[in-house]
Amino acid sequence: MKGPRRRVFAGLAAVMLVTASCASDDEPVADESDTTTGTSPATQPPEDETAEQPASTTAPTETTEATQTTDPGAPEDDGPAGAGGTLVVAISDDPGQYNPALTTSGSVHTASELMFSGLVSYDDDYAPQPDLALSWEIEDDGALYRFALRDDVAWHDGTPFTSNDVKFTFENVLTEFHSRTKASVGALLVSVDTPDDTTVEFRFSEPYAPLLQQLDVTEAPILPAHIYANGDIEGNPANLEPVGTGPFMFGSRTPDEEIVLVKNPDYFEDGLPILDEVVMRVIPDAGSQVLALESGEVDWLWGVPGPDLERFRNDDRYGTLDTLVNPGGANCIMTVSFNLDRAIFQDVQVRRAIAHALDREAFVERVAFGQGNAATAPISSGIPTAHADGLDLPDFDPDEAARLLDEAGWVRDGDGVRTAQGVDGVDDGTPLRFGVHLFPNFAPYGELMKALLIEIGVDLEINALERATMVEQVFTDRNFDTNVISYCNGTDPEVGIRRMYISGNIAPIPFSNSSGYVNTDVDALFDEARNTVDPAARAEVYRTLQEILVDELPYYWLVETTSTRVFTAECSGFKAFGHFAESASCSRE
Amino acid sequence: MTRGYIFARLWQTLPMLLGVVVIGFLLVHIAPGDPILALAGENGDEAYYAAMRERYGLDQPLANQLGTYLWRLAQGDLGTSAIQKQPVSDVILDRLPNTLLLAGTALVISTLGGVLAGLWAASRVGGWRDRTVAIGTLLMYALPVFWLGQIAILWFGLRWGWFPVQGRTDARSRATGLAHVLDVAHHLALPALVLASQQIAVIARLTRATLVDALRSPHIDAARARGVSESRILVRHALPAALLPVVTVVGNRVGHLVSGAVVIEIVFGWPGIGRLLVSATNDRDIPVLLGLFLLIGFAVLIANLLTDITYKWLDPRIRIG
Repeated sequence: MKGPRRRVFAGLAAVMLVTASCASDDEPVADESDTTTGTSPATQPPEDETAEQPASTTAPTETTEATQTTDPGAPEDDGPAGAGGTLVVAISDDPGQYNPALTTSGSVHTASELMFSGLVSYDDDYAPQPDLALSWEIEDDGALYRFALRDDVAWHDGTPFTSNDVKFTFENVLTEFHSRTKASVGALLVSVDTPDDTTVEFRFSEPYAPLLQQLDVTEAPILPAHIYANGDIEGNPANLEPVGTGPFMFGSRTPDEEIVLVKNPDYFEDGLPILDEVVMRVIPDAGSQVLALESGEVDWLWGVPGPDLERFRNDDRYGTLDTLVNPGGANCIMTVSFNLDRAIFQDVQVRRAIAHALDREAFVERVAFGQGNAATAPISSGIPTAHADGLDLPDFDPDEAARLLDEAGWVRDGDGVRTAQGVDGVDDGTPLRFGVHLFPNFAPYGELMKALLIEIGVDLEINALERATMVEQVFTDRNFDTNVISYCNGTDPEVGIRRMYISGNIAPIPFSNSSGYVNTDVDALFDEARNTVDPAARAEVYRTLQEILVDELPYYWLVETTSTRVFTAECSGFKAFGHFAESASCSRE
Repeated sequence: MTRGYIFARLWQTLPMLLGVVVIGFLLVHIAPGDPILALAGENGDEAYYAAMRERYGLDQPLANQLGTYLWRLAQGDLGTSAIQKQPVSDVILDRLPNTLLLAGTALVISTLGGVLAGLWAASRVGGWRDRTVAIGTLLMYALPVFWLGQIAILWFGLRWGWFPVQGRTDARSRATGLAHVLDVAHHLALPALVLASQQIAVIARLTRATLVDALRSPHIDAARARGVSESRILVRHALPAALLPVVTVVGNRVGHLVSGAVVIEIVFGWPGIGRLLVSATNDRDIPVLLGLFLLIGFAVLIANLLTDITYKWLDPRIRIG
């Protein structure tokens, strides 16, 4: 590019960039990124695990202003077989293998959950509903669970499903490979017994309360023993061409391009599924996914960037579904961790001051673009059985924040950055300056934090680091001051909360106790909650726990993030998670 | 003689590829980030992560890991993708044809388009054609590919509906035979054009410059004096001489095409190795990364070799070997 012309063209290009910005559209803001492996459903899943969910009690609301053209479940007008149509789903990456029992990876689960089933599924309030299991009973105060299984289920290859499949999957796969289920269920599980083909019994070394919240297709998908029993589980060809019991069967796969699922004609739920085909289309770029939906090339997006969402909500050619759940995880809270090894964060007054300065509502509005609610407790409101109402979480109050910092010995001269004056373990004159580690797609959280904190004389440095690097610095090297992570609570506190707070989990483990919080009372309460099967008694234990946590503030909880599915109004009958397309149908032309 | 030269050159690529592998291996390991994270999933306990490390040999000293890798490589085994749980060679070969199709089409479009545009511009230096090409190429060169891609999708895909906005085939059709070929061509057009745009600019400007130079040489004056037509002079007399530097540039642009393909494949959802490179990097899928380094290194070396051979073919005075 030579000479003076260069400037002209730079200018021209700039003009065009502005014109185009509507299109090229930048990253989602509020959303997180991924799940375990790499990329994730376009916009949302939180970094740590995956999912998200809405606010209050859950109930994925059909926000659809769109006309629901067909009733869920209502067969199409034109004819019998072949009437359900094809649903094209955009996914962010092709995980390369489709065995959901091997991993918690959101991308594997997104691509594969329609092909498998769990013992139970969850309704919108996470109450367990029959899936492969018809009913269950709990004995020995929760140390023994007995499930009666369906006797009319066949694997996609025609082999009957039996209790032996459940035993095999738990003993040989889930408690070996599925990190969440291994760490929780696996730790206390003594045996899985199969008195007959339709009965399975789980025996634990002590009462284990959360089991029923860990048995859906996300936490515990059941694999066919007759296919996996011989040879290498990770190298099994069925990982590429799965055989499950779900509403859809594996059809074909073109790497990095699409996975085609076809209707399971022998699905055990009568009349389902309705669709003939579900095509999982791989489109890595969130902006391109939006364009593909608008051009009609795909029908369903797991999430869209915040700025695009309003447009879809106000357009009756599209339907939307808000949810706190994503494949692979649920109930995520954007959480600030304080590294308690650092001298400046040892004083709870300093942590409280920072909490008072961080306006949760502002994060919801300006960073999450309304996709979420201000957190009100350490446990997400998406787990109504454990979430405590009315806790005394520090409210936005910069004056109180300033007062607390003055008291703690961080003095401010005019509008400058505060400096230490007699703070334990800190040299006098040290400025109140620290860093926040976060994933690049969460950088807007860091920017708002910085703007809010400078108001009270705290200087924040934003360290936006690529996923693998950040996890290493935070959890392996513990070389950070604070971080912002989307901690997903899961369907039960035992799944995603315990790991953040118990002292035994300060370890080089991703998304463990990143603050380095040690409180033996808290450890004991978590154990007690795990052993308490009675829901009311268990909720009490969790309330006590949350009161302690709010008092000590090892973390500060900003936003319960929601994600919004967006789909064409030509299709309807969706659920937000699990077998989301089981009762969906599409009408075209 | 030529054949001997080619063998010698191919032989020389071996140590270079070895260098690519060793340096790539060290780079991947020096970079922060633990492959076990992407591999293993979350909320596990320490024993779980330790077991996974052992399973994938990541607990071994670096030198051992490198040694094992090279030993297997010597036997033609690229290893197994930790994430996809398939042989690396399958993972790469599944996607390579798509990238070859995209990059190859872009290479052809950019070479032909660039040379033609250069010819057109040089046919009257300083005239309106010349200026049009100058402005057009500057623009194409200056615009970032990812942005141009989005704009192309927005206008040609969404606004006018001429082309699909993503993918390699239509998700709703299972076309075979000719219909399939046409479907792929329809999907290929936009990404290939966008990928070619920058190269067209480079090649057009170079062709024009060398042509203008060539048109000043005495043998052109002699041809004009003999009454040869201007167009014939341009194409038959000036162009062959002017093409030599163009060939060099085209050869050297192969590496650029690969990096451009990474961006294009993401914007257009094109299932090629560029995307694989990105996801393997994010996941720290080391065997796949090393396999890709090898492949890309090999492609660049081969492209350079082909450039040299074409050179000789275009200008018999050049001696190689």
